[in-house]
Amino acid sequence: MQDPWKDDQPIYRQLHERILGLILKSALKEGEAIPSVRQVASDYQINHLTVAKAYQELVDAGLVEKRRGLGMFVLPGAREKVAASERDKFRHQELPQLVARARQLGIAEAELIKMISKVMKESD
Amino acid sequence: MQPVIKARSLRKIYGNNKALDGVDLDLLPGRILGLIGPNGAGKTTLLKSILGLAPVDGDISVLGMDPRRQRTQLLEQVSFIADTAILPRWLKVKQALEYLAGVHPRFDKNRAQVFLQRTQIQMDSTVRQLSKGMLTQLHLALIMAIDSKLLVLDEPTLGLDILYRKQFYSALLEDYFDEGKTILITTHQVEEIENLLTDVVFIKNGRFNLNIAMDELHSRYTELRVTDEHVPQAQALNPIHSRPMLGGRAMIFESADRAALRALGEIKTPGLADLFVAKMQEGASHA
Repeated sequence: MQDPWKDDQPIYRQLHERILGLILKSALKEGEAIPSVRQVASDYQINHLTVAKAYQELVDAGLVEKRRGLGMFVLPGAREKVAASERDKFRHQELPQLVARARQLGIAEAELIKMISKVMKESD
Repeated sequence: MQPVIKARSLRKIYGNNKALDGVDLDLLPGRILGLIGPNGAGKTTLLKSILGLAPVDGDISVLGMDPRRQRTQLLEQVSFIADTAILPRWLKVKQALEYLAGVHPRFDKNRAQVFLQRTQIQMDSTVRQLSKGMLTQLHLALIMAIDSKLLVLDEPTLGLDILYRKQFYSALLEDYFDEGKTILITTHQVEEIENLLTDVVFIKNGRFNLNIAMDELHSRYTELRVTDEHVPQAQALNPIHSRPMLGGRAMIFESADRAALRALGEIKTPGLADLFVAKMQEGASHA
Protein backbone atom coordinates (compact mmCIF):
# COMPACT_ATOMS: atom_id res chain seq x y z
CA MET A 1 0.00 0.00 0.00
CA GLN A 2 1.15 3.54 -0.70
CA ASP A 3 1.26 6.06 2.10
CA PRO A 4 -1.66 8.43 1.98
CA TRP A 5 -0.78 12.05 1.28
CA LYS A 6 -0.94 14.49 4.14
CA ASP A 7 -3.45 17.27 3.71
CA ASP A 8 -1.37 20.19 5.01
CA GLN A 9 0.87 20.49 1.93
CA PRO A 10 0.29 20.30 -1.82
CA ILE A 11 0.98 16.84 -3.23
CA TYR A 12 3.69 18.03 -5.60
CA ARG A 13 5.68 19.30 -2.57
CA GLN A 14 5.27 15.96 -0.83
CA LEU A 15 6.28 14.06 -3.95
CA HIS A 16 9.30 16.34 -4.28
CA GLU A 17 10.27 15.60 -0.65
CA ARG A 18 9.85 11.89 -1.22
CA ILE A 19 12.21 11.94 -4.18
CA LEU A 20 14.76 13.95 -2.19
CA GLY A 21 14.54 11.23 0.46
CA LEU A 22 15.18 8.53 -2.14
CA ILE A 23 18.19 10.39 -3.52
CA LEU A 24 19.51 10.87 0.00
CA LYS A 25 19.44 7.17 0.83
CA SER A 26 20.70 6.34 -2.68
CA ALA A 27 17.56 4.44 -3.59
CA LEU A 28 17.74 6.68 -6.64
CA LYS A 29 21.40 6.72 -7.62
CA GLU A 30 23.33 9.41 -9.43
CA GLY A 31 23.35 8.73 -13.15
CA GLU A 32 20.22 6.60 -12.96
CA ALA A 33 16.82 7.36 -14.45
CA ILE A 34 13.90 8.33 -12.22
CA PRO A 35 10.45 6.86 -13.03
CA SER A 36 8.56 8.57 -15.86
CA VAL A 37 5.85 11.13 -15.16
CA ARG A 38 3.28 8.73 -16.56
CA GLN A 39 4.47 5.88 -14.34
CA VAL A 40 4.33 7.94 -11.18
CA ALA A 41 0.94 9.42 -12.14
CA SER A 42 -0.46 5.93 -12.64
CA ASP A 43 1.16 4.40 -9.53
CA TYR A 44 -0.13 7.11 -7.22
CA GLN A 45 -3.28 8.01 -9.17
CA ILE A 46 -2.36 11.66 -9.33
CA ASN A 47 -2.45 13.85 -12.40
CA HIS A 48 0.56 14.31 -14.66
CA LEU A 49 0.74 18.07 -13.99
CA THR A 50 1.33 17.40 -10.30
CA VAL A 51 4.17 15.01 -11.12
CA ALA A 52 5.61 17.35 -13.75
CA LYS A 53 5.60 20.20 -11.25
CA ALA A 54 7.52 18.15 -8.68
CA TYR A 55 10.02 17.07 -11.35
CA GLN A 56 10.47 20.63 -12.62
CA GLU A 57 11.56 21.69 -9.13
CA LEU A 58 14.18 18.95 -9.14
CA VAL A 59 15.43 20.22 -12.49
CA ASP A 60 15.49 23.82 -11.22
CA ALA A 61 17.46 22.74 -8.16
CA GLY A 62 20.06 21.09 -10.43
CA LEU A 63 19.36 17.61 -9.07
CA VAL A 64 18.04 15.90 -12.18
CA GLU A 65 18.19 16.61 -15.87
CA LYS A 66 15.90 15.82 -18.73
CA ARG A 67 17.45 13.90 -21.61
CA ARG A 68 15.33 14.18 -24.70
CA GLY A 69 13.53 10.94 -25.46
CA LEU A 70 15.17 9.11 -22.57
CA GLY A 71 13.61 10.60 -19.47
CA MET A 72 14.91 12.22 -16.30
CA PHE A 73 18.28 11.33 -14.75
CA VAL A 74 19.81 12.03 -11.35
CA LEU A 75 22.85 14.30 -11.84
CA PRO A 76 26.29 13.64 -10.33
CA GLY A 77 26.66 15.45 -7.02
CA ALA A 78 22.88 15.42 -6.42
CA ARG A 79 23.14 13.36 -3.24
CA GLU A 80 25.56 15.77 -1.57
CA LYS A 81 23.42 18.76 -2.62
CA VAL A 82 20.34 17.16 -1.05
CA ALA A 83 22.29 16.22 2.08
CA ALA A 84 23.55 19.79 2.47
CA SER A 85 20.10 21.34 2.14
CA GLU A 86 18.54 18.73 4.44
CA ARG A 87 21.20 19.43 7.09
CA ASP A 88 20.36 23.09 6.76
CA LYS A 89 16.67 22.31 7.17
CA PHE A 90 17.40 20.17 10.23
CA ARG A 91 19.41 22.94 11.82
CA HIS A 92 16.95 25.75 11.11
CA GLN A 93 13.55 24.08 11.20
CA GLU A 94 13.48 20.65 12.78
CA LEU A 95 15.82 21.35 15.67
CA PRO A 96 14.04 24.54 16.78
CA GLN A 97 10.76 22.60 16.68
CA LEU A 98 12.24 19.89 18.88
CA VAL A 99 13.53 22.47 21.35
CA ALA A 100 10.19 24.27 21.43
CA ARG A 101 8.45 20.97 22.15
CA ALA A 102 10.90 20.18 24.96
CA ARG A 103 10.24 23.61 26.49
CA GLN A 104 6.51 23.06 26.26
CA LEU A 105 6.96 19.83 28.24
CA GLY A 106 9.24 21.48 30.84
CA ILE A 107 12.37 19.58 29.81
CA ALA A 108 15.46 21.60 30.76
CA GLU A 109 18.44 22.09 28.45
CA ALA A 110 20.81 19.80 30.36
CA GLU A 111 18.16 17.09 30.49
CA LEU A 112 17.46 17.40 26.74
CA ILE A 113 21.16 17.13 25.91
CA LYS A 114 21.42 14.05 28.12
CA MET A 115 18.44 12.48 26.35
CA ILE A 116 19.93 13.17 22.93
CA SER A 117 23.28 11.65 23.88
CA LYS A 118 21.54 8.56 25.21
CA VAL A 119 19.45 8.08 22.06
CA MET A 120 22.50 8.57 19.86
CA LYS A 121 24.49 5.98 21.81
CA GLU A 122 21.62 3.49 21.71
CA SER A 123 21.21 3.80 17.95
CA ASP A 124 24.94 3.43 17.18
CA MET B 1 -4.44 26.52 -27.47
CA GLN B 2 -7.75 25.55 -29.06
CA PRO B 3 -10.19 24.38 -26.37
CA VAL B 4 -11.50 20.83 -26.69
CA ILE B 5 -14.86 21.96 -25.36
CA LYS B 6 -16.17 25.49 -25.55
CA ALA B 7 -19.71 26.09 -24.36
CA ARG B 8 -21.62 29.31 -23.78
CA SER B 9 -25.03 29.83 -22.15
CA LEU B 10 -26.13 26.22 -22.44
CA ARG B 11 -29.77 25.78 -21.55
CA LYS B 12 -32.00 22.73 -21.43
CA ILE B 13 -35.47 22.59 -19.93
CA TYR B 14 -37.47 19.44 -19.28
CA GLY B 15 -41.00 20.60 -18.42
CA ASN B 16 -40.58 22.85 -15.39
CA ASN B 17 -37.13 21.53 -14.61
CA LYS B 18 -34.09 23.51 -15.74
CA ALA B 19 -31.55 20.73 -16.33
CA LEU B 20 -29.03 23.29 -17.61
CA ASP B 21 -29.54 26.90 -16.69
CA GLY B 22 -26.95 28.98 -18.54
CA VAL B 23 -23.67 27.06 -18.33
CA ASP B 24 -20.27 28.18 -19.71
CA LEU B 25 -17.36 25.76 -20.03
CA ASP B 26 -13.85 25.87 -21.50
CA LEU B 27 -11.77 22.71 -21.41
CA LEU B 28 -8.24 22.68 -22.83
CA PRO B 29 -6.34 19.66 -24.22
CA GLY B 30 -4.35 17.60 -21.73
CA ARG B 31 -6.71 18.32 -18.83
CA ILE B 32 -8.71 15.95 -16.64
CA LEU B 33 -11.96 17.60 -15.58
CA GLY B 34 -14.17 16.25 -12.82
CA LEU B 35 -17.85 17.16 -13.07
CA ILE B 36 -19.36 16.73 -9.66
CA GLY B 37 -22.91 17.26 -8.51
CA PRO B 38 -25.82 15.62 -6.74
CA ASN B 39 -28.26 13.39 -8.62
CA GLY B 40 -30.45 15.40 -10.96
CA ALA B 41 -28.09 18.40 -10.99
CA GLY B 42 -27.66 18.30 -14.79
CA LYS B 43 -24.46 16.25 -15.14
CA THR B 44 -25.78 13.72 -17.60
CA THR B 45 -27.63 16.40 -19.60
CA LEU B 46 -24.37 18.29 -19.99
CA LEU B 47 -22.52 15.16 -21.09
CA LYS B 48 -25.28 14.37 -23.58
CA SER B 49 -25.12 17.87 -25.00
CA ILE B 50 -21.35 17.53 -25.45
CA LEU B 51 -21.80 14.21 -27.23
CA GLY B 52 -24.63 15.49 -29.40
CA LEU B 53 -27.08 13.06 -27.79
CA ALA B 54 -29.46 15.75 -26.52
CA PRO B 55 -30.38 19.03 -28.23
CA VAL B 56 -29.58 22.10 -26.13
CA ASP B 57 -29.88 25.85 -26.55
CA GLY B 58 -26.74 27.94 -26.59
CA ASP B 59 -23.34 27.76 -28.28
CA ILE B 60 -21.32 24.60 -28.07
CA SER B 61 -18.25 23.45 -29.90
CA VAL B 62 -16.41 20.18 -29.26
CA LEU B 63 -13.08 19.61 -31.06
CA GLY B 64 -14.13 22.49 -33.27
CA MET B 65 -17.38 20.81 -34.29
CA ASP B 66 -21.02 21.39 -33.42
CA PRO B 67 -22.21 18.19 -31.73
CA ARG B 68 -25.78 18.90 -32.82
CA ARG B 69 -24.94 18.91 -36.53
CA GLN B 70 -21.67 16.93 -36.86
CA ARG B 71 -22.24 14.12 -34.42
CA THR B 72 -21.00 11.23 -36.58
CA GLN B 73 -17.75 13.03 -37.41
CA LEU B 74 -17.35 14.08 -33.79
CA LEU B 75 -17.87 10.61 -32.35
CA GLU B 76 -14.94 9.31 -34.39
CA GLN B 77 -12.72 11.26 -32.02
CA VAL B 78 -14.67 11.02 -28.78
CA SER B 79 -15.00 7.93 -26.57
CA PHE B 80 -17.74 7.55 -24.03
CA ILE B 81 -18.51 5.13 -21.22
CA ALA B 82 -22.07 5.49 -20.00
CA ASP B 83 -23.02 4.69 -16.43
CA THR B 84 -25.43 2.03 -17.59
CA ALA B 85 -24.18 -1.09 -19.31
CA ILE B 86 -25.12 -0.81 -22.95
CA LEU B 87 -23.55 -3.92 -24.46
CA PRO B 88 -26.13 -6.60 -25.37
CA ARG B 89 -25.97 -9.50 -22.93
CA TRP B 90 -25.69 -12.20 -25.60
CA LEU B 91 -22.64 -10.57 -27.26
CA LYS B 92 -19.33 -12.43 -27.04
CA VAL B 93 -16.21 -10.47 -26.15
CA LYS B 94 -14.55 -11.31 -29.45
CA GLN B 95 -17.70 -10.23 -31.30
CA ALA B 96 -17.60 -6.87 -29.54
CA LEU B 97 -14.03 -6.42 -30.76
CA GLU B 98 -14.90 -7.48 -34.31
CA TYR B 99 -17.91 -5.20 -34.38
CA LEU B 100 -15.95 -2.13 -33.28
CA ALA B 101 -13.14 -2.94 -35.70
CA GLY B 102 -15.81 -2.97 -38.42
CA VAL B 103 -17.60 0.27 -37.55
CA HIS B 104 -14.95 2.49 -35.95
CA PRO B 105 -12.18 3.90 -38.15
CA ARG B 106 -9.91 4.64 -35.19
CA PHE B 107 -10.31 1.35 -33.29
CA ASP B 108 -7.17 -0.78 -32.87
CA LYS B 109 -8.31 -4.35 -32.18
CA ASN B 110 -4.82 -5.45 -31.27
CA ARG B 111 -4.59 -2.90 -28.46
CA ALA B 112 -7.89 -4.07 -27.01
CA GLN B 113 -6.67 -7.69 -27.08
CA VAL B 114 -3.40 -6.84 -25.36
CA PHE B 115 -5.32 -5.01 -22.65
CA LEU B 116 -7.79 -7.87 -22.19
CA GLN B 117 -4.95 -10.38 -21.82
CA ARG B 118 -4.07 -8.71 -18.54
CA THR B 119 -7.56 -9.45 -17.20
CA GLN B 120 -9.50 -12.66 -16.48
CA ILE B 121 -11.81 -11.99 -19.41
CA GLN B 122 -12.08 -14.79 -21.99
CA MET B 123 -12.64 -13.97 -25.66
CA ASP B 124 -15.45 -16.56 -25.84
CA SER B 125 -17.33 -15.23 -22.81
CA THR B 126 -20.62 -13.49 -23.37
CA VAL B 127 -21.39 -10.15 -21.73
CA ARG B 128 -23.92 -12.00 -19.55
CA GLN B 129 -21.14 -14.13 -18.00
CA LEU B 130 -18.97 -11.19 -16.96
CA SER B 131 -18.99 -9.76 -13.44
CA LYS B 132 -19.66 -6.06 -13.01
CA GLY B 133 -15.95 -5.40 -12.58
CA MET B 134 -15.06 -7.40 -15.70
CA LEU B 135 -17.70 -5.58 -17.68
CA THR B 136 -16.08 -2.27 -16.78
CA GLN B 137 -12.72 -3.70 -17.83
CA LEU B 138 -14.24 -4.68 -21.16
CA HIS B 139 -15.64 -1.18 -21.69
CA LEU B 140 -12.24 0.23 -20.78
CA ALA B 141 -10.48 -2.11 -23.21
CA LEU B 142 -12.79 -0.98 -25.99
CA ILE B 143 -12.45 2.74 -25.45
CA MET B 144 -8.70 2.63 -24.79
CA ALA B 145 -8.20 0.98 -28.14
CA ILE B 146 -9.86 3.96 -29.81
CA ASP B 147 -7.43 6.71 -30.63
CA SER B 148 -9.77 9.43 -29.40
CA LYS B 149 -9.00 13.00 -28.39
CA LEU B 150 -11.71 13.29 -25.76
CA LEU B 151 -12.85 10.61 -23.36
CA VAL B 152 -16.12 11.10 -21.50
CA LEU B 153 -16.78 8.91 -18.47
CA ASP B 154 -20.14 8.96 -16.71
CA GLU B 155 -19.82 7.37 -13.26
CA PRO B 156 -17.33 4.82 -14.64
CA THR B 157 -16.68 3.02 -11.37
CA LEU B 158 -20.16 2.98 -9.87
CA GLY B 159 -20.77 -0.25 -7.97
CA LEU B 160 -17.19 -1.50 -8.33
CA ASP B 161 -15.09 -2.57 -5.37
CA ILE B 162 -12.01 -0.58 -4.47
CA LEU B 163 -9.58 -2.94 -6.22
CA TYR B 164 -11.33 -2.58 -9.55
CA ARG B 165 -11.65 1.17 -9.05
CA LYS B 166 -7.92 1.55 -8.48
CA GLN B 167 -7.09 -0.65 -11.45
CA PHE B 168 -9.45 1.37 -13.59
CA TYR B 169 -7.78 4.71 -12.87
CA SER B 170 -4.27 3.27 -13.05
CA ALA B 171 -4.98 1.82 -16.49
CA LEU B 172 -6.54 5.08 -17.57
CA LEU B 173 -3.45 7.07 -16.61
CA GLU B 174 -0.91 4.57 -17.84
CA ASP B 175 -2.41 3.25 -21.04
CA TYR B 176 -4.74 5.96 -22.27
CA PHE B 177 -3.96 9.42 -21.07
CA ASP B 178 -1.28 11.68 -22.50
CA GLU B 179 -0.92 15.39 -23.01
CA GLY B 180 -2.80 15.31 -26.30
CA LYS B 181 -5.86 13.76 -24.71
CA THR B 182 -8.58 15.15 -22.53
CA ILE B 183 -10.81 13.41 -20.02
CA LEU B 184 -14.17 14.52 -18.66
CA ILE B 185 -15.41 12.43 -15.78
CA THR B 186 -18.44 12.48 -13.52
CA THR B 187 -18.42 10.63 -10.23
CA HIS B 188 -19.74 10.58 -6.71
CA GLN B 189 -16.49 9.20 -5.33
CA VAL B 190 -14.85 12.62 -5.06
CA GLU B 191 -12.06 11.68 -2.64
CA GLU B 192 -10.79 8.91 -4.86
CA ILE B 193 -10.25 11.04 -7.92
CA GLU B 194 -9.45 14.46 -6.55
CA ASN B 195 -5.68 14.03 -6.92
CA LEU B 196 -6.17 12.87 -10.45
CA LEU B 197 -8.07 15.94 -11.63
CA THR B 198 -6.53 19.05 -13.12
CA ASP B 199 -9.86 20.92 -13.09
CA VAL B 200 -13.13 20.65 -11.25
CA VAL B 201 -16.70 21.81 -11.79
CA PHE B 202 -19.49 21.59 -9.20
CA ILE B 203 -22.98 21.64 -10.65
CA LYS B 204 -26.22 22.23 -8.79
CA ASN B 205 -29.70 22.83 -10.21
CA GLY B 206 -28.31 23.20 -13.72
CA ARG B 207 -25.74 25.86 -12.78
CA PHE B 208 -22.03 25.69 -12.02
CA ASN B 209 -21.20 26.95 -8.56
CA LEU B 210 -17.51 26.13 -8.88
CA ASN B 211 -15.35 25.97 -12.01
CA ILE B 212 -11.66 26.09 -11.20
CA ALA B 213 -8.24 24.59 -11.93
CA MET B 214 -7.16 22.34 -9.05
CA ASP B 215 -3.89 24.22 -8.60
CA GLU B 216 -5.82 27.45 -8.05
CA LEU B 217 -8.01 26.02 -5.29
CA HIS B 218 -5.54 27.04 -2.60
CA SER B 219 -5.64 30.69 -3.63
CA ARG B 220 -9.43 30.88 -3.45
CA TYR B 221 -10.40 28.54 -0.61
CA THR B 222 -8.98 28.12 2.86
CA GLU B 223 -10.01 25.73 5.59
CA LEU B 224 -9.43 26.94 9.12
CA ARG B 225 -9.35 24.61 12.09
CA VAL B 226 -10.15 26.69 15.07
CA THR B 227 -10.53 25.89 18.77
CA ASP B 228 -13.71 26.91 20.62
CA GLU B 229 -12.20 30.08 22.11
CA HIS B 230 -11.54 31.57 18.64
CA VAL B 231 -14.79 30.47 17.01
CA PRO B 232 -16.58 33.85 17.40
CA GLN B 233 -13.67 35.74 15.77
CA ALA B 234 -13.50 33.24 12.91
CA GLN B 235 -17.28 33.34 12.47
CA ALA B 236 -17.06 37.12 12.06
CA LEU B 237 -14.92 36.60 8.92
CA ASN B 238 -17.92 34.96 7.19
CA PRO B 239 -17.03 31.35 6.46
CA ILE B 240 -19.08 29.75 3.70
CA HIS B 241 -19.31 26.60 5.79
CA SER B 242 -18.62 25.48 9.31
CA ARG B 243 -18.62 21.98 10.74
CA PRO B 244 -17.90 20.72 14.25
CA MET B 245 -14.71 18.84 15.02
CA LEU B 246 -12.99 17.67 18.17
CA GLY B 247 -12.45 20.70 20.41
CA GLY B 248 -13.58 23.30 17.89
CA ARG B 249 -14.79 23.81 14.33
CA ALA B 250 -13.49 23.47 10.78
CA MET B 251 -14.55 26.43 8.65
CA ILE B 252 -14.17 27.03 4.94
CA PHE B 253 -13.57 30.56 3.62
CA GLU B 254 -13.77 31.92 0.09
CA SER B 255 -11.32 34.62 -1.08
CA ALA B 256 -10.23 35.26 2.49
CA ASP B 257 -7.04 36.81 3.83
CA ARG B 258 -4.91 33.79 4.75
CA ALA B 259 -2.75 35.77 7.13
CA ALA B 260 -5.78 36.83 9.18
CA LEU B 261 -6.99 33.24 9.33
CA ARG B 262 -3.58 31.86 10.26
CA ALA B 263 -3.67 34.00 13.39
CA LEU B 264 -6.77 32.11 14.55
CA GLY B 265 -5.72 28.49 14.03
CA GLU B 266 -4.41 25.92 11.60
CA ILE B 267 -5.07 26.56 7.93
CA LYS B 268 -4.96 24.33 4.87
CA THR B 269 -6.58 23.97 1.48
CA PRO B 270 -9.92 22.16 1.86
CA GLY B 271 -10.39 18.72 0.36
CA LEU B 272 -12.84 18.49 -2.53
CA ALA B 273 -15.37 16.46 -0.55
CA ASP B 274 -15.59 19.09 2.22
CA LEU B 275 -15.66 21.91 -0.31
CA PHE B 276 -18.43 20.12 -2.19
CA VAL B 277 -20.58 19.89 0.93
CA ALA B 278 -19.90 23.57 1.62
CA LYS B 279 -20.82 24.73 -1.88
CA MET B 280 -23.93 22.56 -2.07
CA GLN B 281 -25.26 23.90 1.22
CA GLU B 282 -24.24 27.49 0.51
CA GLY B 283 -27.24 29.79 0.70
CA ALA B 284 -29.50 26.95 1.79
CA SER B 285 -29.66 28.08 5.41
CA HIS B 286 -30.82 31.57 4.37
CA ALA B 287 -33.47 30.32 1.94
